[in-house]
Amino acid sequence: MHCLKMTAVEFINITKKFGSFFANRDISFSVEKNTVHCILGENGAGKTTLMKILFGMYRQDSGSLKISGEDIRFNSPHDAIAKGIGMVHQHFMLIDDFTVMENIILGNEITKGIRIDFDKTAGILNELISTYSLNLDINKKISEISISAQQKTEILKLLFRNSDILIFDEPTAVLSPAETDEFFKIIGKFKSSGKTIIFITHKLNEVRKISDKVSVLRRGMLVYESSNENRNLDLNILSQAIVGETVVKANTEKADIVFPGNDGRNAISLRNIFLKKDNVSRLKGLNLDLYKGEIHGICGVEGNGQNEIIDIITGLETEFEGEFSNPGCSISLVPDDRLKKGMISEFTIGENIILKKKSSNFISERLLDRISTETAEKYDVRVSDIKSNLSSLSGGNQQKVIFARETELESDVMIFSHPTRGVDINATVFIHSKIIEQRNKGKAVLLISSDLDELFALSDKISVIYNGAIAGTFGSEELSNFRNEELIRKSDESTGSPLSDKIGKLMIGIKTE
Amino acid sequence: MELISSVISLTFLAQVLRLMTPYYLGASGANFSERGGVINIAIEGFMNLAAFSFVLFSILTGNVTAGFICAVLINLLFSLFFSYFTVKLKINQIVTGVGFNLLIAGLTKFLLVYIFNSSSNTERFEGIPDLEIFKGIPFAGTVLSDYMTIFCFALIFISGFVLFRTKYGLRLRSAGENPYAAESLGVNVRLYKLSGILISGFLSSLAGIWLASNQNSYSDGMIAGRGYIALAAMIIGKWKPVNIFFACLIFSAFEALEITLQISGTDFPTQLIQMLPYLITVLVLVGFIGKTKPPAADGVPY
Ligand SMILES: Nc1ncnc2c1ncn2[C@@H]1O[C@H](COP(=O)(O)OP(=O)(O)OP(=O)(O)O)[C@@H](O)[C@H]1O
Ligand SMILES: [Mg+2]
Repeated sequence: MHCLKMTAVEFINITKKFGSFFANRDISFSVEKNTVHCILGENGAGKTTLMKILFGMYRQDSGSLKISGEDIRFNSPHDAIAKGIGMVHQHFMLIDDFTVMENIILGNEITKGIRIDFDKTAGILNELISTYSLNLDINKKISEISISAQQKTEILKLLFRNSDILIFDEPTAVLSPAETDEFFKIIGKFKSSGKTIIFITHKLNEVRKISDKVSVLRRGMLVYESSNENRNLDLNILSQAIVGETVVKANTEKADIVFPGNDGRNAISLRNIFLKKDNVSRLKGLNLDLYKGEIHGICGVEGNGQNEIIDIITGLETEFEGEFSNPGCSISLVPDDRLKKGMISEFTIGENIILKKKSSNFISERLLDRISTETAEKYDVRVSDIKSNLSSLSGGNQQKVIFARETELESDVMIFSHPTRGVDINATVFIHSKIIEQRNKGKAVLLISSDLDELFALSDKISVIYNGAIAGTFGSEELSNFRNEELIRKSDESTGSPLSDKIGKLMIGIKTE
Repeated sequence: MELISSVISLTFLAQVLRLMTPYYLGASGANFSERGGVINIAIEGFMNLAAFSFVLFSILTGNVTAGFICAVLINLLFSLFFSYFTVKLKINQIVTGVGFNLLIAGLTKFLLVYIFNSSSNTERFEGIPDLEIFKGIPFAGTVLSDYMTIFCFALIFISGFVLFRTKYGLRLRSAGENPYAAESLGVNVRLYKLSGILISGFLSSLAGIWLASNQNSYSDGMIAGRGYIALAAMIIGKWKPVNIFFACLIFSAFEALEITLQISGTDFPTQLIQMLPYLITVLVLVGFIGKTKPPAADGVPY
């Protein structure tokens, strides 16, 4: 039998410019029906831009699109939705004050007469939730639910609209390992129900695991394509295609810092902290010490008290019980939600950075441009125009700006919350070496991350947080043993090591021993 | 003693409910606009404009219905202008609102002199006639003699229903909370913002008509900040129709008290009472009734 593969989407010579800058340049490739197609590339490579064109949010300057072989031209997301395309954005598009249900039905309400038929809607949604095992409460407000639940809300939006082509822009950046596995199961169900999935990520091991085909963009152009039907993608070749040259090696050498005695090493200490917010206990007898010259990693599923720790250390939260001491250390924070906490999106790079600089009372355009240019060079921020607002930077590049500002402050205590979220391979390596550099300079570093590999690679100590308290702490000896084992076991990915198993279990509240 | 008994009486309560009318109309109107993300402080000016055009056209045509219709249409026209500036041109909403209030104040002053040859007030005219059905029944007779007061009671439920139970309301609120998310789902954000402003123009025209009709004339400065108080009531009522209603009752109670005091002829300075609504507003706004949270994208041009 002649087996002809159907194409779901065909990009034909797509070019998109912002000013004189090519965000997409003459991109042509196709996505086959009922496959998982990964799109990879550095920060600022043009992935999100291309997807926004497919979703009708941007209009290409030249080139065309075909959906299921049919020429189309979208004027708005509305047109794209009508053609069965759905998109989960890198930065979620949700209304915090609405319930999950309201967010989902907005724009496609089911009505009975003039009123919205909430009962019927709930029935439909709950059925979808159980079909795809989404495990979501549709009557909760977005502001009350976790990030992974918010993502499920976005997914449910697409299902509710019966989308056939699903675009996910860095969906796993915000998920813990367990949540990522759960997400991949959902993707699996989508595929078996005949849907086409376009998936953007920076995590190569994920790509090998779930993609059927990959396309790599670099500086706006398509530079590499490969099939992965047999799950044997060569990750070395792939990462070279992504960065264009050889992958930068991390400099994670830790200097031995000698302190005169243990006095004065302790930077921050939290003793038996209890915190209630809106009548819910968030911290329940939490103990944590940060020492200078040490990276203390915190791992845990999001929402188990990580943000509350940050709020207490940075002084945002004062209504807690227990003992908090800080002997006058200055504090820097790279927050988890950069859009809401870390930056002013309508400011330029320079303006965002100067906000926290103590020395500058007067601001001139020259100074701002100089700061922007210096930062962009030193931290490899890819921008089309140095005067543009942060909102027009790609997600990963925004993160680099925030990271640059905070590390340049030279504070005594550095808090990094998901520092490499949405950041590409080389930039991740760069950020990692900067974090180590901070440690070697004698800063006390608190590293909060849901990426176990990152925690293992950087931390001198790892604590697992669960339900508002530290469930277990692993010191440098255990970690270095683990790293050595890891070198031996390297190729075999199927079995987890005893330590990461133990940590994984602690994260969900299961104590071994 | 006499004073106290006159305050704790059904007549007083009926008076409070009646005086609530312009506040609630204005506040509900402003609420529709703000739910769509547009701060409309031009409510004050809109009330003023409607009061004036209602009187003008009622006198010119000798027919209050014609006056009513003209006043409503003129307000809708001005609401369109207001939307053009705030939604289409994205000019700062507060600046636009202040501009409208000043412009309308000047315009009515000018026309008052030009048409009525008076710098203070128009001639008297017969306002909207009372509803006669409940006449004679002690309490209901007063409260339910007024079409617009009755409409206000219905409006509590109508706005609650429209905002929270209909497709229109959901989309309007989405435009005020996160227009980008709304647009990504195909909601025409600007259209919904426009509609919110038009509703605010309509309801505030009713408020102005009510005031002029009850006074049986138009006089310069007769709105006396009621539009601003309506906005305060909306904020105190946390943008929720039922709460706004009760907030309006607080303000109308003070107004009723002031009137009772004036009638009773005590030498208690009524200015002090006149001050109270504002004092209350400030107290409430500094967190007396708990945090108030406006729609997330309220006042942000889109
Ligand atoms: N609205 C805009 N105005 C100007 N420039 C833009 C705009 N949107 C994107 N760009 C530029 O286009 C380039 C591509 O951005 P895009 O968001 O597509 O990158 P990306 O591949 O998704 O990166 P990341 O992995 O960091 O999310 C970036 O250099 C960015 O600065
Ligand atoms: Mg992107």
